Amino acid sequence: MLHYFTDPVLRAPTLGAMFMCAAAGLVGVIFFLRKQSLLGEALSHAAYPGVILGVILAALLGFSDLQEASLTSFILWGAFVTALAGLFSIYFLENRLKIHSDAALCLILALFYGVGVLLASHVQFTLTNFYRQVQVYLYGQAATMTDIYILIYALLLLVIGAIIWFFYKEFQLITFDRNYAQTIGIPTQFLDGILFILIVSAIVIGIRSVGVVLMSAMLVAPAAAARQFTHHFSKMLLLAMGIGAISGFLGNYFSIELGVSLPTGPMIVLSAAAICFLAILFAPQRGILWRMVRTARFRSRCQQENILKAIWRLGQGAGASLEHLKRLIGTNSVELAFNLWRLRVNGWLTHRGAHYELTPDGINRAAKIVRLHRLWEVYLVDYLGMGAEKVHRSAEEMEHILTPELERELTLLLKDPKQDPHAQPIPPAPFPTAEV
Amino acid sequence: MERNPYFGADFFNFFLVFASRIWGFATGTLGWNDLVSDEIQLLVLSGIAASSALVGTFLVLRKMTMLANAISHTILLGIVLAYFFSLRNVESIEGHGSGALHVPTLLIAALITGVATAFLTEFFTKALRLQEDASTGLIFTTLFALGIVCVTVLTRSAHIGTEAVMGNVDALQKEDCWLVFLILALNSILIFLFFKEYQLTTFDPALAQALGFSAMGFNYLLMVQVSATVVGAFRAVGVLMVLAFITAPVLSARLCTHHLHRLIFLAIAYGVTASLIGVALARHFLTSYDLALSTGGIVVTVLGVLFLGTLFYYLFLPQRTQR
Amino acid sequence: MEYALKIEQLNVNYGRTPVLWDISLAVPRGKLVGILGPNGAGKSTLIKAALGLVKPLSGSVAFFGKPLKACSGCVAYVPQRETVDWDFPITVRELVLMGRYGKLGLFHRPRAADRAAADHYLDKVKMLAFADRQISQLSGGQQQRVFIARALMQEADIYFMDEPFTGVDLATERVIMDLLRQLNAEGKTVFVVHHDLNTVESYFNWVILLNMRLVAAGEKDLHYTGEALQATFGKSISLLDEAVKLAQKKESGRM
Repeated sequence: MLHYFTDPVLRAPTLGAMFMCAAAGLVGVIFFLRKQSLLGEALSHAAYPGVILGVILAALLGFSDLQEASLTSFILWGAFVTALAGLFSIYFLENRLKIHSDAALCLILALFYGVGVLLASHVQFTLTNFYRQVQVYLYGQAATMTDIYILIYALLLLVIGAIIWFFYKEFQLITFDRNYAQTIGIPTQFLDGILFILIVSAIVIGIRSVGVVLMSAMLVAPAAAARQFTHHFSKMLLLAMGIGAISGFLGNYFSIELGVSLPTGPMIVLSAAAICFLAILFAPQRGILWRMVRTARFRSRCQQENILKAIWRLGQGAGASLEHLKRLIGTNSVELAFNLWRLRVNGWLTHRGAHYELTPDGINRAAKIVRLHRLWEVYLVDYLGMGAEKVHRSAEEMEHILTPELERELTLLLKDPKQDPHAQPIPPAPFPTAEV
Repeated sequence: MERNPYFGADFFNFFLVFASRIWGFATGTLGWNDLVSDEIQLLVLSGIAASSALVGTFLVLRKMTMLANAISHTILLGIVLAYFFSLRNVESIEGHGSGALHVPTLLIAALITGVATAFLTEFFTKALRLQEDASTGLIFTTLFALGIVCVTVLTRSAHIGTEAVMGNVDALQKEDCWLVFLILALNSILIFLFFKEYQLTTFDPALAQALGFSAMGFNYLLMVQVSATVVGAFRAVGVLMVLAFITAPVLSARLCTHHLHRLIFLAIAYGVTASLIGVALARHFLTSYDLALSTGGIVVTVLGVLFLGTLFYYLFLPQRTQR
Repeated sequence: MEYALKIEQLNVNYGRTPVLWDISLAVPRGKLVGILGPNGAGKSTLIKAALGLVKPLSGSVAFFGKPLKACSGCVAYVPQRETVDWDFPITVRELVLMGRYGKLGLFHRPRAADRAAADHYLDKVKMLAFADRQISQLSGGQQQRVFIARALMQEADIYFMDEPFTGVDLATERVIMDLLRQLNAEGKTVFVVHHDLNTVESYFNWVILLNMRLVAAGEKDLHYTGEALQATFGKSISLLDEAVKLAQKKESGRM
């Protein structure tokens, strides 16, 4: 695998893509948080006519199609100019004409791209050798990048990283609360300008490796993936950078290692997308998988607490048999057996003969649950005026949810009631607090 | 093969020839088989323009234009898979005159792709809690990348990918008109029948629901219509340029009127006019400068110019009362 | 006696916790009813449940003794103004015409008679001069009047209005109130979600005081008392809110 970084043919595409995607990831985070993820889509298409104009200009000025370095700079400047023009047009459409952003973006995207296609058709026949260069920018051609690109992309990453680091807290504030930032004197328009230059630069320089059509993916996927892991701005930036770099590598890797030779640009995008989907599913905290696990755990806890409650209600020192519990709790035997086992293992239940009994800790915990249940009923009936027959279902839910803070608030609000609406006694707080 | 009567005509002469040809068609001296490439292009482009204006109006008003962009990307994958699954000789993507055979396959591919895109985006936004712009961006770029990979693997030539994206107006045949006009007919009928339902569900979904109209149903219907429209345009202007037909005429017309039905007619007019001027210009450039430019590109550029013109008129004409 | 609106034991839940419970009331026809209560007390929810826009847990709603579906065209709804896109290319007259869409059904287009009716109602709300204007050119008060004209187009017997006086100038408020009184005089029943306690006395002849449960419902002179107001506005439901949100998070695995 190391040969991807050393082999003279492979290292430019690999390293170049890695640096570029890292840079795109950084910029992408900010625009993701501004909810402007699709701006990149419009701007990358707007860059296309610039690519061709650059080529035309170079040809007019007498450059040959073999002077790649000069040609590239013409192309990049052309792309930069038209992308910026696209940006201003979008700004104008949205702010002056009050056209909604999605329509404005699509209009600029389509019109600029169409002009690009028109120009490309001209170049196709009149400047055929140059045309090959132009085509490269449509889908990217990472595979033919030379070592100089490593330098260019590394520089891009450095510059973008430096600017974001320098203006970190300003970017953070204007992204989060723009109006407030303005009121404390932060130059929001100036900073917007910097951000726009950053994204245009990232796009323009990046289209060489993934192409015009797919560039926006590299702005969205790493940012979206990073978001699943953290809500800290700094961590998000670093993560997106890392994910971008990994995608750049994997794209190159898979375009070769999978047996058939696949185009690198799309493979980079697919790698980034795959990482994103995996993040959405498996990221700790926000990942779907973890959510399902937490839901299952919560459900389990609820049932365990219901078991404790049921046994508690049977009276002092009484136990319950498995069949009795099955009837009381009404769930399938597997779940019941599992929860009974958990309760025993954790010290809330003991097993005496064929009966399950509460341990002293179990008694306390059960009493607490019942207390919460009945407190909630008092709240709904006496305080909010609900009918006493209606509150049981809600209390069955809330007894597992109320936190100690909410319990304290309720006790205070209701003035430490001793009886619930069904005239049943409310167990006292297990560790009485001084305030009550 | 007969010589194309437009051969050698410049911009002005194009319209002269065109006028006489119209007379010929109207009086019956010219028939279906006499259509030449310029006229075929005009017919197809006009058909696409009209369809796009119809669906584009409601897309723009519902603020769902990006979804159209998304569908126009994902449809590549749909079309590729459709060809793959119908086990056709894949070279036929490039073939001509076989358009009619592929129509049902294409339309089904369009239907599935359109609904799938809309559904996936909603799924990501609601169930996976990803913000809407990122959901859209992620889905269509991923599916498009997948489409390109499939196209490359299946045809061993990225040239096909380019064709699918950019289309080739200059390679259109008479038979291509059928698909476009079929879709135009479908769109026209649906929009005409359901005009007030579309209007109401777009403007005030709450009232629509209270009056018993399903806002969600019309949403998905619109997505199906958009997908069909994109598929119809795929051979002519390619998937990406349909977006120009969907947005530019509607936004131009929006500057001129605030009556919904006038908006639609104006948008169609803009689109058809741009097609006419575009085809004429293409002929002109070929004749006068010996330049074979992409007709699709010219038409999109003309759409842009028309938009700019309308914009100037809107902004700078004095004593312009608020629209 | 046939009641314009009869609600029996209506319960609307948010998950397993009730947001409206035990709502039972019977409103005779021809009343001008003010629906009052603090924010989040379920006033809009009550209307939405009555109109079938929100599914209740249990309970029944009857209009003149019939369910909503059997009573097509007898109920008109004026929602809150923010729900609408004011840049939509639609003129004032076209917006009012929408009131007839329910009656016209699928496919059918508005006819000349519908357009004449639209003009008639626009005149009633004193907006006829604006008939061809685009709706974004209207002020808040004018927009509200046009919305009411649309509801009038439905020529219903019962009208539900959600906060029609919010953000509206005094002149408009007077115009709207005159209209409502006129409707009332014609025997129509009008429900208004209202937020300004100062005007309740002069505007309504019936009140519904709501704070998730029904505090009082009946003739204003009898039921609009200090005690009732205290019961409606005096209790904070912030604890309920907090607990419900917590429950949602735990059950969906977000916490």
